[in-house]
Amino acid sequence: MIWAILHDAVFAAIAGMGFGALSNPPIKAFPYIALLAASGHAFRFVLMNYLGVDIALASLAASMLIGFGGLWLGYIACFPITVVSIPALLPMVPGKLAYNTVFSIIMFLQTMEDPEEHSRYMYMFIDNGILSLTVIFFLAIGVIVPIALFPKIAYTLTRRQHKY
Amino acid sequence: MPGSNNTYLAQASEFISEYIGTLMGCGVHTSRVVRNTNRIAKALDVEVHLSVFHRTVILAVRKDGEAMHSEIVEIPNLPINFRFNSELSALSWEAYDHHLPLHVVKEKFDRIVSTPRFSHNFMLFMAGAANASFCRLFGGDWLSTLIVFIATLVGFTIKALMHKHMSNLHFTVIVTAFVSSIIAGVSVLFDTTSDIAITTSVLFLIPGVPLINGVIDVMEGYILTGFARLAKAFIIILCIAVGLAMTLWIVKNQLI
Repeated sequence: MIWAILHDAVFAAIAGMGFGALSNPPIKAFPYIALLAASGHAFRFVLMNYLGVDIALASLAASMLIGFGGLWLGYIACFPITVVSIPALLPMVPGKLAYNTVFSIIMFLQTMEDPEEHSRYMYMFIDNGILSLTVIFFLAIGVIVPIALFPKIAYTLTRRQHKY
Repeated sequence: MPGSNNTYLAQASEFISEYIGTLMGCGVHTSRVVRNTNRIAKALDVEVHLSVFHRTVILAVRKDGEAMHSEIVEIPNLPINFRFNSELSALSWEAYDHHLPLHVVKEKFDRIVSTPRFSHNFMLFMAGAANASFCRLFGGDWLSTLIVFIATLVGFTIKALMHKHMSNLHFTVIVTAFVSSIIAGVSVLFDTTSDIAITTSVLFLIPGVPLINGVIDVMEGYILTGFARLAKAFIIILCIAVGLAMTLWIVKNQLI
């Protein structure tokens, strides 16, 4: 179990840093991104696999962890909260569900003659479509809540002096 | 001297419009752009009023409540750059706290925006590593991971080439998604987790930053720019889906 969690954390950290690199963050931000991505993704992994939480709620909890962690680390290292949090959230963007949505559209169009299969793919489309939209929305909420709750801290993260 | 005052105003608003354009273009959410701009304006002793849209910003700058200078800033199409986000925000606080004069702020701004991006090879490797780790996260085996790594390297290179030499962003994304996924589709020849390989091979194209920025903008009340960002992101996702669909059409009999 420990190995599974560690495995998840390590690969989430690589994925976070990798996708983060595409948006050109400051070099100093990479360790923070890795830490946030690993803890957030591993937290979601534990919630989903060992505590039986569904993917939407687990994503919300994990994105909150990343959001508040980003606020704290951003405070320490003088980065805007989005610079460390967004790359850390990227590994949780539900690519597999989005793929299933597209796949089910194609199969839906291909199975016109077989009503049973046809409705199965219809169901698969709605199921995966709703889930992926919800998860993306919840991921963004995780960044917004810390900003909304502590605007004074969130707005002055890059200030070198007189921090709140 | 009203004359010199007007020149200062013109110079200040020229700088501010450049500052806004850079921030909006490189993927900063709207409320931060507005806050940073107001801070810079206070440091430069001018008052700004902004109206932000997704391709232009209407900017009115005035000094001492009298002279007024308006500009319409076109937002350039820059690649996402979080270093600009971080350092330009810090610059706004520095200017505010130390009350820096215009030429000093401008000099620091020029230095920040002239810092180069990461090298292409570094980004290429990172994108490959990220997609490969994704494949592991979704439960792919090591062979799929390797195939995804290669598929991403090829796809990323093609995207950079197409971006450099021609073409429309959407067309680029469709072609890249198709090429990456068809290379990952080679995995159906082996006994491996090929559906996971095909899915994850296109994930580096997902516009995660505009998606999250869009939701942030909407939630913070900048609904127009928020929906504009989301619409742009959804069109790109649709393009990825089109490229992926072409691959799925080819290999689907092996997948079911």
